[in-house]
Amino acid sequence: MSLWHDLYHGDTRFDFFGNRRRWFALSGVIIAVSLFALIFLRLELSVDFRGGTQIEFANPNDVALASVRELVDGAGIGSAKVQQVGGSGIRVQTTQLDAATEDELVAALADLLGVDPADASRQSVGPTFGSQVTRSAVRALIVFLIVIALYMAWRLEWKMAGAAIFALIHDLIFTSGIYALTGLEVTPATVIAILTILGYSLYDTVVVFDKLQENERERGDRHTYGAIVNMSMNQVLMRSINTSLISLLPIGSLLVVGSFLLGATTLREFALALFIGVATSIYSSIFLAAPLVGMWKERESHWIKTRHRLERRGVAEEFAVHETAGRPGAASAPSVSGAVPRPPRKRQKGPQR
Amino acid sequence: MSRRGALITLLVTLAVAFGLLALTQITGTTPRLGLDLQGGFSVVLEAPPGTDPAVLDQAVEVMRRRIEALGSVQEPEIAVVGDRTVEVQLPGVTDRERALDAVGTTGQLEFRQVLSISPIPGVSPLFYEAAASTTTTTTTIPVSTTTVPGGTASTTTSPTTTTSSPTTSTTLAGATTTTIPTDPKEGVVLPAGVTWCDEVDQPGCVDVTTGLTPNPDPDLDAYLATDFQTGGGIMYHTGPARILGSDLKGAQAQFQGTSSVAGEWIVLLEFTETGGERFTQVTKELAAFPVGDPRRQFAIVLDKVVQSAPALNADISPTTGIAGGTAVITLGSSSDQESEASDLAVVLRYGALPVAFTQSTVESVSATLGEDSLSAGLIAGFIGLALVAVAMVLYYRVLGLLNVIGLVVSGVLTLVIFSVLGAWQGVTLTLASVAGIIVGVGVSADSYVVYFERIKEEVHGGRSLRSAVDHGFKQAIRTILTADTVSIAGAILLFFLAIGSVKGFALALLITTIFDILVAVFYTRPAVSLLAYTRLGDGGRFSIRGATGRPTEAAE
Repeated sequence: MSLWHDLYHGDTRFDFFGNRRRWFALSGVIIAVSLFALIFLRLELSVDFRGGTQIEFANPNDVALASVRELVDGAGIGSAKVQQVGGSGIRVQTTQLDAATEDELVAALADLLGVDPADASRQSVGPTFGSQVTRSAVRALIVFLIVIALYMAWRLEWKMAGAAIFALIHDLIFTSGIYALTGLEVTPATVIAILTILGYSLYDTVVVFDKLQENERERGDRHTYGAIVNMSMNQVLMRSINTSLISLLPIGSLLVVGSFLLGATTLREFALALFIGVATSIYSSIFLAAPLVGMWKERESHWIKTRHRLERRGVAEEFAVHETAGRPGAASAPSVSGAVPRPPRKRQKGPQR
Repeated sequence: MSRRGALITLLVTLAVAFGLLALTQITGTTPRLGLDLQGGFSVVLEAPPGTDPAVLDQAVEVMRRRIEALGSVQEPEIAVVGDRTVEVQLPGVTDRERALDAVGTTGQLEFRQVLSISPIPGVSPLFYEAAASTTTTTTTIPVSTTTVPGGTASTTTSPTTTTSSPTTSTTLAGATTTTIPTDPKEGVVLPAGVTWCDEVDQPGCVDVTTGLTPNPDPDLDAYLATDFQTGGGIMYHTGPARILGSDLKGAQAQFQGTSSVAGEWIVLLEFTETGGERFTQVTKELAAFPVGDPRRQFAIVLDKVVQSAPALNADISPTTGIAGGTAVITLGSSSDQESEASDLAVVLRYGALPVAFTQSTVESVSATLGEDSLSAGLIAGFIGLALVAVAMVLYYRVLGLLNVIGLVVSGVLTLVIFSVLGAWQGVTLTLASVAGIIVGVGVSADSYVVYFERIKEEVHGGRSLRSAVDHGFKQAIRTILTADTVSIAGAILLFFLAIGSVKGFALALLITTIFDILVAVFYTRPAVSLLAYTRLGDGGRFSIRGATGRPTEAAE
């Protein structure tokens, strides 16, 4: 049967848990590269955070970027950055100018571009405001993490809360790493997007963990914890694929539309961070958070006992774990994935209630 | 869920959602757009460290008055953010200089002598006097119809009606509907030193169309009104400024009553030493005019708006004036004397901003860019939703169709709540909230997916379709509630802890997530239950069973 058919019918038998070392290695590399980029390349902060003046104009007459740069350089205001934004927009960024100089520059730019000075979007930010916003966001973030961790510890269990926070930090580091690597500007929109990823990452992990907990409750005595992780992940796989598709479609359309329309610059900046973040969240909840919980739980005496008991009986498991790094004594049924006989479906023995 | 119950729930839900939509449409309530979506101007002002929060609130109050005096600002938004920052948002404002002046500079409080009062609200005394002095009764006065309060040109509301000649006032009343004359300057004699703004634009000049002084000079006569926002209200011709805000030491609203007379609210003024001397001098001059003459009045002017124009009592003599450095303004005939007294006291005390702000951020978004952003957001939203709809229908067949209708219901509710919040609470829809809504769509779509996958699983487990639909929901709602709690908690925390655009994002996410739960319980569940009883539930590739990938009833 085709993979699509199995996916559609929820009949996949992927060994998520057994391959965990691969995922951990992948995530390790991602985090290492991201941290490297963050430390050595630094984030490119927008005017909002470092202070300065930013002027944006539409450029309906397609005036060359070079001549705009010439004008700005000739104005004697020191280092300025001239960029093309959106489909046909010009963005000029300088250190913070006083009101009169700013007005002059706007008038000169409008003259060059052949547009009305009133059509400029202007921004002048003192260096303290950005830090204030950032500080409030960081404070909100910390409180948020504590509260959510407590909630998850209460509703699920503390090991799950730990794994979820771990996955979350992974997502955040990865997303900001991408920004550092590509040199894209971090704007307030990016900050919002990162907060969104935060919520989304946790949301996704909770949905996955909820399934894990349910399976643990219903069939805990008949399977090793690793097998339960595998079973749960295969069960939520289709949901994860569908959800990611559905969430990414509107974000993707923001991204595409934002690249063509000047007004949507903010939307595009937002959509980009979101796109990366949502995609990472879905990866991390299945490939990182769940195996992490699995590893952690396998060490509990209850699950060790369950594993030994099942090994003694030699039960061939439906969602058998095949350790990739051949740990001696680890549970392994000598079968190839796919050749595992499908056990009877649940509830076929008759109605349970 | 019983069929009857499901049907009623579904119908009520749809009726409520679309009924509310119809209601907002009829009343013309639409969401208020933020600066970034309609263009405008925003400033973030910072007070020195350690500023008293009460002082900040007073500053905000003064700014609000001044911005109202600017006119043409629909719904300014001024808020204290954090412990010493004030955020001012002025949608639709394009004149940066005026807006910055209004919120940034420390204002000017002046006491000016009233020279004359126009008997017709909304008509400058300048034009009124010119019209009254001409002999022809056909003279028209440049009254714009919008400036007359109450929609009538009746002069009976004016306090000085009795002094105007009946013939003239009839003509004036009729003039509200006639055309504005070609030259309003005709027959008008300006006081010494005062110019027309279109000829010599200097402080103290008079605007040709309104007949008011947009930028009064303390040393010159000025034409001022009680309501600068609409250019209406009672209009005064005043002399130069005689007493400034710096001459005042304090002002207090008090209740004064005796056993025999019903009590009244007063404002107690206290002058500085030099201020008291000046006030005595001014009152000596004013008291020389007979009781009932407008020149016995002085106008209290804050930023070109006449806040109050009290007249001197009959017992004050021109030889002594009011001495002693204090004075009492009695608010006699006002219907709401208490608030009027305290408002006046606030104006007198804090005419100037009580604290010196530094501008930490100044931002203006051009109207065209704002519109672009809005349309880009809408286009992206529609394309995104259309893609979601196609994917859902392809994958979940008839359930996907239900999902699309469900998203429309959520969308309608979101539109309604943002309209209502905009009208009642002044909440604006910004790009950040658009982002929050888009994320909300993702969360909401996920709830459907969780539920639909549950149904599939239950059917695979051997349940009958109807039982799977019912049982699946009970399982799915647990997951949905747990996951949504995380979203809601996050949104609430962000809303209270973060500042700026993050707040708008958090609110939008909160609203859409709450709707997600409501829609799941009151729409999705009954709709799917009902569907399970129809042919679309259990037959053909497009049905619910078709979507589960088990086209026929499993052998049981």
